[in-house]
Amino acid sequence: MAKVSNTFVPKHTVVENINPMTKILAVFSLGLGTLIFPNFWLGLFVILGLFVVAGLAKLLKEFVKIMFGFGIPITVMLIFIQGCYSPKNRTYIADFGFAKLGLEGSLYALKVVSTLLVFLGTFYIMNKTTYTGKLVAALTNSGLPPKAGYLVLASLNVVPQMQRRMSIIQEAQSARGVETGGGMLARVKAYIPLLGPVVMSSLTDAQERGMTLETRGFGITGVKQTTYVEVEKSGLDKILNMLLILFFVIVLVVTVLMKTNII
Amino acid sequence: MSNVVLEVKDFSFKYRQTKRKALKKVSFQVEEGSFLCIIGANGSGKSTLCNALVGLIPHYFVGKMAGEIRVNGINVAESSIANLSSEIGLVFQNPFNQLSYTAGTVAEELAYGLGNRGESREKMVEKVKYVAELMRIDHIIHKNPLELSGGQVQRVAFGSTFIMEPKILVLDECTTQLDPLGSEEIFDIVKNLNSKGITVIMVDHDMERVARCADRIMVLDQGEVVAIDEPKKIFGNPDIVNHHIDVPDYVKITQALREKGYTSHEIEVTEEPTVELVKEALQA
Repeated sequence: MAKVSNTFVPKHTVVENINPMTKILAVFSLGLGTLIFPNFWLGLFVILGLFVVAGLAKLLKEFVKIMFGFGIPITVMLIFIQGCYSPKNRTYIADFGFAKLGLEGSLYALKVVSTLLVFLGTFYIMNKTTYTGKLVAALTNSGLPPKAGYLVLASLNVVPQMQRRMSIIQEAQSARGVETGGGMLARVKAYIPLLGPVVMSSLTDAQERGMTLETRGFGITGVKQTTYVEVEKSGLDKILNMLLILFFVIVLVVTVLMKTNII
Repeated sequence: MSNVVLEVKDFSFKYRQTKRKALKKVSFQVEEGSFLCIIGANGSGKSTLCNALVGLIPHYFVGKMAGEIRVNGINVAESSIANLSSEIGLVFQNPFNQLSYTAGTVAEELAYGLGNRGESREKMVEKVKYVAELMRIDHIIHKNPLELSGGQVQRVAFGSTFIMEPKILVLDECTTQLDPLGSEEIFDIVKNLNSKGITVIMVDHDMERVARCADRIMVLDQGEVVAIDEPKKIFGNPDIVNHHIDVPDYVKITQALREKGYTSHEIEVTEEPTVELVKEALQA
């Protein structure tokens, strides 16, 4: 039996119970808010807040890993590029000999990094705390066409299917004496002949899947699709939705005021 | 006379990539609540016929088609497969082909078709519970369908078709992955459904089971219907073996008793009457 890879592991936390639409709103509200804000401070505060949310979602360890694993190298790289070579640089804060580190470029790099990390962090938390079926059910309930919903779910299930197919073909080949284990080179050699059958059978599967779905009523005309997965909108969701919209509106107003030099 | 729910008229089909016709002028009718078994050697056209009955031919399989199939008066070629699904349901030979691959749990997999029909969640929960218990998969209801064994998937596949409550159930060798006991369990369910009025069309190679379940048997050979009759007449015909059909052991026993003059009774195709016949012969 093939192992199924699934990013969502139920942990029964308050974050997990939040409606997927609220989480999507959070990704866009926090991400876009950080993006339009003129400096990196807002992004930094949002990132700190995301660490708290990750803690509530019992994901802190993985979250720290992904944020620092991505954040540190990208920060160093962007600060180096923007800090040393940005045409915006007017004030220099360090001299490396071969290049000078500019303040304006460095601040711009921090702004880009903080925006990227907010998008990454919010999306990561959403992905890790949301069951895919629930996400699609929520999207479908919000008016997403069932065909688009199917595309999302089927795309996410492609990997486990291919893994399953691959292990079947691998077992069949090793039963006929093909070496599928051992060192790196042996493994690579074993995987190359698997690719053809896996890809071809995946294409055949796609046609069979279409047949199956239709025989199970997919595409019945004049019917609004329903889902087995229950999606609730709690009082907390309503409050969060309001807060997220309010956050974005305030950020937008403050940004406009800052850009017009009123504040 | 009972109501005809399925009518196949001079239906022929040739796949685009083959030279020979898979089905040649097939004609038959199925009455409401009856149990028709389709038998024949490999390549005789059984699965092609099943695919045609639910509309996969001509909607999915490309080829040359003639004649027509009507399910409850609906012309299969003119209706969409999805809209036909509440009239006729197919359980595929390969259970993995039955999965939607969109469900994270067996319960969701079972409910998938109901969702497509827009049923309320309350009804879905009720039906999923009933079908899961019936199919003996209630203990794996929260498991991912991709993590199940072949036999378990076969039960899920059957349940996912049955839950749609089609008026006609088409079973294309749907127990190939099950052990004999599991297979019998499924057939008991099928028989039970049939006794409640659901029309069943079943393709199977187990002749004892075919003889036990079927009201009528249709024999296919190289795409042609060579016989369609009740089990005793089909298996009592000595020419049947010419179409690569094995007869149930009970037929062989009663034939042997007749040939040796122990009985003049007609051919029996099921266990109980055969046992009675043997008892009578022994007493004589």
